[in-house]
Amino acid sequence: MNYTVYYIVHLLTMFSIYAILGVSLNLVVGYTGLVSVTQAAFYGIGAYATALIAKTAGFGFFSSMLIGVIVAGLIGLLIGLVLSKFRDDYYVIVTVGFNIIAYGIFMNWHSLTRGPLGIVAVPRPKIDFLGLHLDFNNNLLFLALVLVFLALIYFLARFIAKSSFGRVLKAIREDEKAIQVFGYNAFYFKLAIFVISAGMAAVAGSFFASYLRFTSPNTFVLMESVLILSMIILGGLANLKGSLLGAFILVLLPELMRFVGFPNEIAAEMRQIVYGVILVLLMIYKPSGIMGEYKL
Amino acid sequence: MNIVPQLILNSIIAGSIIAFLAVSFNLIYGATRFFNMAHGTIAIFGGYIAFFFFKTLGWNMYLSAILGILAAGLLGYIFDRIIYLPLRKRKASGMIMLVASIGVFTALQSLIQIFFTSEFQTLSDISVHDRLYTIFGATITQTQIYILIMAFIVAICLIIFLKYTIFGKAVKAISDDEEVAKIVGINTNKIIGLSFFIGSGIAAIGGIAVGFDTGLNPTMGMKLLLHGISAAIIGGVGSVYGAFIGAFVLTFVANFSIFWISGEWQEAVAFVLLIIFLIFRPRGIIKR
Repeated sequence: MNYTVYYIVHLLTMFSIYAILGVSLNLVVGYTGLVSVTQAAFYGIGAYATALIAKTAGFGFFSSMLIGVIVAGLIGLLIGLVLSKFRDDYYVIVTVGFNIIAYGIFMNWHSLTRGPLGIVAVPRPKIDFLGLHLDFNNNLLFLALVLVFLALIYFLARFIAKSSFGRVLKAIREDEKAIQVFGYNAFYFKLAIFVISAGMAAVAGSFFASYLRFTSPNTFVLMESVLILSMIILGGLANLKGSLLGAFILVLLPELMRFVGFPNEIAAEMRQIVYGVILVLLMIYKPSGIMGEYKL
Repeated sequence: MNIVPQLILNSIIAGSIIAFLAVSFNLIYGATRFFNMAHGTIAIFGGYIAFFFFKTLGWNMYLSAILGILAAGLLGYIFDRIIYLPLRKRKASGMIMLVASIGVFTALQSLIQIFFTSEFQTLSDISVHDRLYTIFGATITQTQIYILIMAFIVAICLIIFLKYTIFGKAVKAISDDEEVAKIVGINTNKIIGLSFFIGSGIAAIGGIAVGFDTGLNPTMGMKLLLHGISAAIIGGVGSVYGAFIGAFVLTFVANFSIFWISGEWQEAVAFVLLIIFLIFRPRGIIKR
């Protein structure tokens, strides 16, 4: 592949991974109205689980991913149980805390995660099925695979959002007390969507680790959660197309800045500054984002 | 060797640093009713400004510290004028204010990273040996004694200031009900602006103290803030006195936890303590 194609494939792959993260977070923040800033933790759990299981246990990519999703779901269940006690500011601060603790675990649990060194040589997926041989070491094929999963997750999220389950979530967001009067137990609904969202984020993590063939704690910092939150707020809360748009814009933006000619180390920081400023401006002038159906 | 005296001393010193953040967080929260997520990074900003004047330009240490405090206070005030004040005028919800402050945190942290790199920078002078004192077999440096004394002075001054001045009464009135405060003729925006200035300045003392004690790092702001918020919640949100007590409760528990779990998990211990408090005693030790 020539360099331009390679570059575009790379950007599209990163877009797809962030789009999965955005869609998953939107279910919690947009539809249910719970501002969670810990998506990078589940992203990381998915990445580490897949990397470790595929490498040490020798499982294939897809079974490793499934285990990653289950692990993230279980941890999401535990965190969701704790979070069920909180709302608003307290909810945010507890999720921020979880992200920092998760990062601390990736960093400090050396015997499992190898700390700051990270895990190298994470395998790419392979399909050997009914005479079909697909080797995803080819980036273009890998992109196709991520896109398939993005589509699956997108339609799953849309199905959830449009189902009666999704309508209860929106009702919880608008008035939790009122919906409980109708006999819905908001606790279970909030917990369920949090677990689903955690599992979806883990899928993105699996792809990320496998795509780079490497995973290290520095990807799963608090700033990453802030970035994902910025994406869905920019695109619009409670609108799944908005999450795709938000991911697209915020993945492309730093590339544009690179073309403007910032040196690499400053470009990374400039990117964060732009994200921060976008978040502030959105809050002041357009808290519903580009196509949002709900504002905080 | 008995490590208990050293642990007590370490807890007191860490507590003093957290106290600056907790107390000032509560002051701003009292006036604005939202969690300012940029608060810790503003504290670190103050530390870096002091670093710039003291280390880069070689100015007098005390002057540099004062400039750092003023710069942070001013920055807090400016953020209130250009971001939070317009939001209040639009009757924005607390969550919008909070997300906006996350934006401020993101941008400010990266800005600091550009100017001062993400390396650790220390304010203390390595060439001049810090004097050591020994109390019951535990050692404390002269700088740490200064930090400790400062924490008490600031907390006491702030408590007296809030109790006996018009400003303090106005802050209390605003935190009870901003609309009513406005009706009885309190210039709420001026008072809130002032509490941002004072609060950010006090936080910066904490940032400078960290610079002298362990050194500064741009990402440290959020960790400091989390500890500050934990202390504020443990003590009782909105209460300056409670926040001061909460800071020491937090650091004592985190420091003494090393008897059971290794040191790198102190962060997690502090956080678990916060969650326990939030679940079982959400209004903190000092109920308001």
